[in-house]
Amino acid sequence: MTAPTSTRAVVLSDPSPGWPRRTPKVPRRKRKITSETVTPYLLVLPVLLILLVFRIYPLLLGINFSFTGDQELNGVFVGFDNYLFLLQDERFQASARNVLVVMLFVPIEVLVAGLLATFIFIKVPGHRFYRSVYFLPVVLSPIIIGAIFNIVLGANGPLNAMADSVGLPTVDYLGQTMTALPSVLTVHIWATFGMALVIFLAGFSTLDQQLLDAAKIDGANFPQTIWHVIIPGLSQTIQFVFVTTTIGMLTGLFGLLYTMTAGGPGAASYLPEFLIWKLNGEARPALASAASVFLLLIVLVIGLIQIRVLRRATKES
Amino acid sequence: MKRFVAPFAIGMGAVLALSACGGAATTTTGDSADDGKLVVWNWGSSDDAAAAYQDAVLAAFNEKHPDVEVEIVSQPFDQYYTLLGSAIEAGTGPDLALFNGGTQLKSRADQIVPVTDELADIKDQLAGWPAFEDGGETYSAPMFLQGFPVYYNKAIFAEAGLDPENPPTTWDELSDACDTIASETDVSCFALGNKEGLGIEFFMSGFGSGIFTPEEYDAWIDGERDWESEHAKQVLQLWADTSADGWYNDGANSTAMFNDSFDLFSGGSAAMVIGLSSGIAHWKQFDDFLGEDLGFMMPVTVNDGTTLALPIEGGIGYGVLNQDKVELGVDWIKATVDRDALADYSIAGGQIVSDTTIELETDIQSAQDIVAELPGSKPLLHTALGGDTLDLLHRLGQQLLVGEVTVDDAASQLAASEG
Repeated sequence: MTAPTSTRAVVLSDPSPGWPRRTPKVPRRKRKITSETVTPYLLVLPVLLILLVFRIYPLLLGINFSFTGDQELNGVFVGFDNYLFLLQDERFQASARNVLVVMLFVPIEVLVAGLLATFIFIKVPGHRFYRSVYFLPVVLSPIIIGAIFNIVLGANGPLNAMADSVGLPTVDYLGQTMTALPSVLTVHIWATFGMALVIFLAGFSTLDQQLLDAAKIDGANFPQTIWHVIIPGLSQTIQFVFVTTTIGMLTGLFGLLYTMTAGGPGAASYLPEFLIWKLNGEARPALASAASVFLLLIVLVIGLIQIRVLRRATKES
Repeated sequence: MKRFVAPFAIGMGAVLALSACGGAATTTTGDSADDGKLVVWNWGSSDDAAAAYQDAVLAAFNEKHPDVEVEIVSQPFDQYYTLLGSAIEAGTGPDLALFNGGTQLKSRADQIVPVTDELADIKDQLAGWPAFEDGGETYSAPMFLQGFPVYYNKAIFAEAGLDPENPPTTWDELSDACDTIASETDVSCFALGNKEGLGIEFFMSGFGSGIFTPEEYDAWIDGERDWESEHAKQVLQLWADTSADGWYNDGANSTAMFNDSFDLFSGGSAAMVIGLSSGIAHWKQFDDFLGEDLGFMMPVTVNDGTTLALPIEGGIGYGVLNQDKVELGVDWIKATVDRDALADYSIAGGQIVSDTTIELETDIQSAQDIVAELPGSKPLLHTALGGDTLDLLHRLGQQLLVGEVTVDDAASQLAASEG
């Protein structure tokens, strides 16, 4: 019988399971070109070609298009005029501000999904039922969800009727500047956290049971187990969920915004994706392309920052 | 981060190099070599009456061009201009496309082939041309007229103790009527949907002729607009005041105009609504719900020295996008205003057609009242605005309702947007 291993010892010996380890540099040897070395590249070539033709090329075309004018300047190179126009545009400024609001809601979705996944992982009574229920909204179309919550959150809707019946004030959730975007984001979290939950559950299945047993033997309570074992063990999963949730919020809110607030009131719930659609509908596709490039940059920068920050934050010190 | 910066810089370099060549598509579309085909985009041809009208137009066109195959692509309206814009930029746009008159057509005038001389021979036959003209050129012929009449529910008027046959004619009478309706019934005075910001454009065009003098009105349509003038500010002030005074249903900013607010009126939850004269939310649709209780009233006199006019102009018409098919396109446009086709549709589809010599054969009184006001009608105030200003007006309309912007600030923003 081996002696019980302390949690700390196990964690420190394997600080972050799955992280790429730095290996000492060794002199590279020239590889011979053989069928074995070429075949892997040939196998991925179709995918690379698809990416190049259907992703990279349109992306470059879009960026290229963003440097041309609209309407009478169609096809004329205008340099950074579209970008400068956007920076002074009220709707773009509102979209940029609202991206920050969206960022505040990302940790909430991750937290909700992570906590509920933890409860399912530790097999609370009815966990199988909850797993299905939590995932159910993911399969619904955002338009349907938007239509449902339009009714639920309406000024004369059931939520306000309930509040009124118990003497609470009623709120036009979707028609007020302060509540419009948070309402949409809350509905988005309800509608999509199921996917993050599934990713968390997949992460849990890779968690080293030995670590959890060791923590239990060491007398760690539930919060300590989460903080010192589960979070470091799931660091890559958390990063992945953070990044995909962020991208999902920045690029997947159109359906809900379109049905629930149409960007209003004023520009209170404009997001870059909605602005792109509006600009294109206003016969200004080149300006829309410039806004698309901004959105791409926002997603890239936020994604990279998140990975950096989370890489540090989720490591056991 | 360094790994990312290098490829990005290379990518941007490539893009700038590409840009120097000019990357946008031309506006000329279609396959010019294929003269035997005409691709036409439109929306809303799914109901029986619209389908029958489309068949009648097709028959009129094929009388002239029996060998030309017409491919009609019906697009969803809420995505129409987005799809059309993308298709044009991709060089896969149609030869002809349906446009709303006013802002939607004028903001795309550079993409549409002017057909001023080609349509000169039918000029006297139709009303509503200004909505399809820009910079002295004509881009299409109006098929129907579109206007913003005020409808009211006679039963609610009677319930409130108001005279159902004598609707208000002045702003004071209208205000009194709204106060009475609020106190005597449990419905709102006006049905309003403002989720897309459309409410204020309905309000401005619906009541404009009672606020602006005829000279100011004409100047506005001609592009000489002073948003900071007394009467322009008055429009914004009345809009905000009527909301504060409780004229509208709760949650107007989160209620869609189409079709939620019109459903409120049809369902008897509001005494009045500023509706449309054609297409949707008009006399024929309201008649299905309200029958004899449906009433039509003119705008009310707000200021002295004004002349009340029904706000109405050309509604929709086809624009030619393919320079190589102008001749076919013009014949299609002429087929859409074919007298027989329009006459049939005006009865079946509930349209006020552009050919005013066609008698509207319906016993729906409000429709006949609208037609009777056509001779003194005036174009809509909001469709004279550019796309940018109209969008700003929508957003300010929402902010005025929630008290986030003052009338002065809104007026100065609108003035600035028009340069």
